[in-house]
Amino acid sequence: MAHVPTANGTAMTGATSLVKSLEAANVDVMFGIPGGAILPAYDPIYDSTIRHILVRHEQGAGHAATGYSQVTGRAGVCIATSGPGATNLVTPLADAAMDSVAVVAITGQVPSLAIGTDAFQEADIRGITMPFTKHNFLVTNPDEIPRVIAEAFHIATSGRPGPVLVDIAKDALQKQTTYNWPNSINLAGYKPQTQPNQGAINDAAVLIAQSTKPVFYVGGGVIKANAARELLELAQLLGAPVVTTLMARGAFPDSHPLHLGMPGMHGTVAAVTALQKADLLITLGARFDDRVTGKLSTFAQNAKVIHADIDPAEIGKNRYADVAVIGDLRETIKALIPALAAALAKGRADLSPWMASVNKLKSTYPLGYDIPADGALSPQFVIERLGKICGPDTIFAAGVGQHQMWAAQFISYEKPRTWLNSGGAGTMGYAVPAAMGAKVGAPDTTVWAIDGDGCFQMTNQELVTCALNNIPIKVAIINNESLGMVRQWQTLFYDSRYSNTSLESKRVPNFPMLAEAMGCVGLSCENPADVDATIEKAMSINDQPVVVDFRVHRDAMVWPMVAAGTSNDEIMIARATAPDWDSQEL
Amino acid sequence: MAIHKLEVLVENEPGVLARVAGLFARRTYNIDSLVVGPTENSKISKMIIEVSVEGHSLEQVIAQLDKLINVIRIEEILEGAISNTKHDTQPDYQN
Repeated sequence: MAHVPTANGTAMTGATSLVKSLEAANVDVMFGIPGGAILPAYDPIYDSTIRHILVRHEQGAGHAATGYSQVTGRAGVCIATSGPGATNLVTPLADAAMDSVAVVAITGQVPSLAIGTDAFQEADIRGITMPFTKHNFLVTNPDEIPRVIAEAFHIATSGRPGPVLVDIAKDALQKQTTYNWPNSINLAGYKPQTQPNQGAINDAAVLIAQSTKPVFYVGGGVIKANAARELLELAQLLGAPVVTTLMARGAFPDSHPLHLGMPGMHGTVAAVTALQKADLLITLGARFDDRVTGKLSTFAQNAKVIHADIDPAEIGKNRYADVAVIGDLRETIKALIPALAAALAKGRADLSPWMASVNKLKSTYPLGYDIPADGALSPQFVIERLGKICGPDTIFAAGVGQHQMWAAQFISYEKPRTWLNSGGAGTMGYAVPAAMGAKVGAPDTTVWAIDGDGCFQMTNQELVTCALNNIPIKVAIINNESLGMVRQWQTLFYDSRYSNTSLESKRVPNFPMLAEAMGCVGLSCENPADVDATIEKAMSINDQPVVVDFRVHRDAMVWPMVAAGTSNDEIMIARATAPDWDSQEL
Repeated sequence: MAIHKLEVLVENEPGVLARVAGLFARRTYNIDSLVVGPTENSKISKMIIEVSVEGHSLEQVIAQLDKLINVIRIEEILEGAISNTKHDTQPDYQN
């Protein structure tokens, strides 16, 4: 949306200056709730060309901003008042920090003279959010508002993206000021390195050309850098296997023959084992998270590591890097392609034995699941059908738990920015508001939230926001009447003692009725034979949000699994069942 | 246990000390001593931090510190050395 630019030097209130600054930052939508301290800003918001979506809980505003950013690649914006309004943003900001999402949060603060007096609705939100914002600001002088807003968007969206919070005292919003949008941004302590060092690129190319067992270990950074096309070219140039982490699903087409699937705790046998047996990890925008590496000291023990990332602090944090390449991943891969081609022209290792090994693993241990003999509905079947029927253009946003892992496993992702989830923080309740933000960012695309019955009960109030604001998302509740992943761990590690994991959500609440009460269409499905028709019915409704209560059996488990803290070598494909390693040559 | 002395130039803004101290605390780095003072430039303060590195590399401590937006430059002070090792926001120790 094109906003009418405001001339520098114009006199106005701090509140108007804030709104004009957001317009100057090309904000087209923000999610929020007004309250006392931020109220001065809501008066000029009333006149602004920026669309403000009134959510029902500030946490919803934060996750919606995240979903919007993950789909559009632009900064998502949320706005809240002081005290509890601001603290309700804490979880989504922590979530955005863990998954490197560009979010700008605006909060009202009590008047500057009241700061530090335990005033009504006062909370030190700048102090509270220091550990998990990329940066944050407290503004008490209205003249600083345009500069701070410009810096906030620059910091959030450049380098490694992340959340930035701007806390503004109420009197700074009320006072008169003159609007001055800065022509340039100069932060002495912040100049992210985007161009990779050519020497490091050459070293990486030589290492890759010498490797006989290379694997592309692809993380979410490839999606953030919009480097999926370049990655495809690089992977095909080398002809080596690719694994995509939970944050990178869609960065490389699932259907591509070089793709081995997701690595990590619930990764495929082929992806996990290829990393373990590799002699070289070509690490692109990934961070050696414990859910990927398993017991770190036993992870990919024979592999050298090339680590390419925009964030220098990721280099050597968890795993030593033999070659480090700091820079924007798109620039890095674009530089690596000709360097690798030159290195390969001088001689290339024969990768065919390695490819034969990993392809044998891939064909021997495909992802699968058991259909219950009693005819009960399988959660994996529901998710698999959702992916098949809705197709690769659909955006899926998952909550956290078993349904999230199945949605990562059983849907084929072909394009970047079609898979959204809370990877690092593991925030239950992420899916519905994130799907709302995604739908606002991509209104012509079908957006499904795949949620658990536990997750859904944390943030479903945003369906009211969706119903009232013409945001017709679709929600598949994978209702196993349990905190399913926790229950799975109780089954495996706590002697099936199900302490406080039974939610009884097939009795209460009645999800279709709850959906109808919130202005959505409510559907229910319990029979495998009805799954396709139910999904197709949901797909045919585009003027209202739709909620489908898929009532699945509760004993399904997520496999494969590497138990927390153990080595990836101890991957299990089913309970007490390891792959048949003797038949594999690696 | 190696103790390293870092000279850190930071923007003289409210909350900078909390940012640095909070970073060390949450990433479990040990501060042996910390001195903050002014420089000739009123917009810039200088911190002298003695950090005992145990279980972390000095490079990791410096890289995390460098991510703070208000941190302008980090220099390791080597006692008795002719020149100190400079770190700025363009990390040069990885390449």
